[in-house]
Amino acid sequence: MTAFRWRVMLLLAAACLVFFTGCSRETTSGPAATNRLQVVTTLFPLYDFARAIAGNRAEVRLLLPPGSEPHTFEPKPEDILAINRAALFVYTNRFMEPWAEDLVKGVPRDRLTVVDASTGLVLLDAAAGHDHGHGAMEEGHHDEPSGKDPHIWLDLTNAQAMVDTILAGFVARDPANRDYYAANAAAYKGKLADLDRRYKATLGTCKNRTLLHAGHAAFAYLARRYGITYVSATGVAADAQTTPSRMAELVKRVRALKLQYNFSEELVSPRVAETIATETGARILRLHAAHNISKDDLAAGVTFLDLMEKNLAALATGLQCRQ
Amino acid sequence: MDIAEILSYGFMQRALLAGSLIAVLCAVLGCFLVLRRLSLIGDGLAHVTFGSVALALLLKFYAASALFVSLPVVMLCSLGILKLTERARVTGDAAIGIVSSLGIAIGVILASLGGGFTADLFSYLFGNILAISRAEVLLAVVLCATVLLLVTFFYHELVAITFNEELARISGIRTGRISSLLVLLTALTVVLAMKLVGIMLISALLILPSSAALQLARGFRTTLLLAALLGVIAVIGGTFASVMLNIPTGATIVLLNFMIFGLACFGKRLLAQE
Repeated sequence: MTAFRWRVMLLLAAACLVFFTGCSRETTSGPAATNRLQVVTTLFPLYDFARAIAGNRAEVRLLLPPGSEPHTFEPKPEDILAINRAALFVYTNRFMEPWAEDLVKGVPRDRLTVVDASTGLVLLDAAAGHDHGHGAMEEGHHDEPSGKDPHIWLDLTNAQAMVDTILAGFVARDPANRDYYAANAAAYKGKLADLDRRYKATLGTCKNRTLLHAGHAAFAYLARRYGITYVSATGVAADAQTTPSRMAELVKRVRALKLQYNFSEELVSPRVAETIATETGARILRLHAAHNISKDDLAAGVTFLDLMEKNLAALATGLQCRQ
Repeated sequence: MDIAEILSYGFMQRALLAGSLIAVLCAVLGCFLVLRRLSLIGDGLAHVTFGSVALALLLKFYAASALFVSLPVVMLCSLGILKLTERARVTGDAAIGIVSSLGIAIGVILASLGGGFTADLFSYLFGNILAISRAEVLLAVVLCATVLLLVTFFYHELVAITFNEELARISGIRTGRISSLLVLLTALTVVLAMKLVGIMLISALLILPSSAALQLARGFRTTLLLAALLGVIAVIGGTFASVMLNIPTGATIVLLNFMIFGLACFGKRLLAQE
């Protein structure tokens, strides 16, 4: 599967290259569509943060189409045009979107401010997320440049810092609306802080403190923030494959801790979780990693906060917390 | 990890059972395909599957039910590969290349027209040998039985068209139909078995055991049996090796398959020197 994905990616990358070189030449002096600040974001959490800051004074565009993993991203000519028209480009970090820097390389920095939303945050080592002391899961990290866990937004305090970083980008590009953006950001951070408090309150009461995730290690930041032990089937790479011993360990862990639930990620096939369910009887709950949102959810206007609310409800059930 | 203990897990039993069945299936089909220079058809059809899933999405078939669109489309494309090799002056590898790149390109365009996906399709399309459900074991049994039965039934015709299509045609065999049967069975196997064990393993199991057997065996019947045996040895040995070395199972099986192939080439040289 990995080999196949790589081939698909190479093809897409080649297509992207053709589009990019083709389009950037034609649009180097293209005028902006409107006078409002144009912002391009890569993944959904950034899109949602930027949307909250922008209010009605800036236009925010989500680059990755819904349902596509950052791995299989394929820019259309229109996407490249949007980047060329934009004044602000926001991406998560170089471990999440290793292609981001390349994508904007051709656009001069005086026309486009590029924001790395992880600026100022300490990234966890990719190994630290899943089960401490199990170095065995390292096989999946071939496509992470130096083994950092990119899923920073799932810690709600990180999310607040990311809002600040993105706000700084807005202000740098559109100083006239500084106060408006700052007020929006403050209001949004308030909601994040509020949700963070509710996470702390709820997850502090759980009978079980082990989050067993039959998938790739996306929730390490969340687990660390709320003092939960996190065990995952594979490392942080989305297409890593697990080993028989790891599967056996997960099964043993479910039995030993008498876990009633094991977790699977939204939008991804719950195949491994189903296998563990068959083995142990532990039921399956879904968590949303939020970097990828379904087409229907996007159309319905679902927000990052909505997804995190749902996650809290799933965690409260799965870890047997008082609600 | 203790072998006896790891065997007590249902997922390991299912991996060994379904894996072995698929190995037999792929080895048998592989012997015909490799000799007909269609050994990359597994890879090619996997690319077509990508396109077919994009089509499924456009038609609003989601996740698991995408199979109902994929299966007919991929089968049709397998016939397309065959027709290309028959009608025009196109060799097998070129035909596979043409159809598979078309499949990917159409997939990329359709996915773009559809405005994005509703789920990570790859995870639904491509399975993992360690996560095979009970229903999928049954599917492997039925698939294996169907294909082996048909191959046994049309054995002489299949052998005839594999070694000398002209002669087969003259001797009254409807070569077109038999060839179609072969590629259709391959398409069926690729799409369904891919959901169980992933494309990397399917592609390897189609090519390596049969190539190894072709080095050693004399008669074609022996080649088929030997290929099936080598495939099963690779699956079982590779699964246990992956337990002991704690590395992903599918990739370990492929590596062991390659080592068996290497030994077969070496063995052939020794046999020749005697």
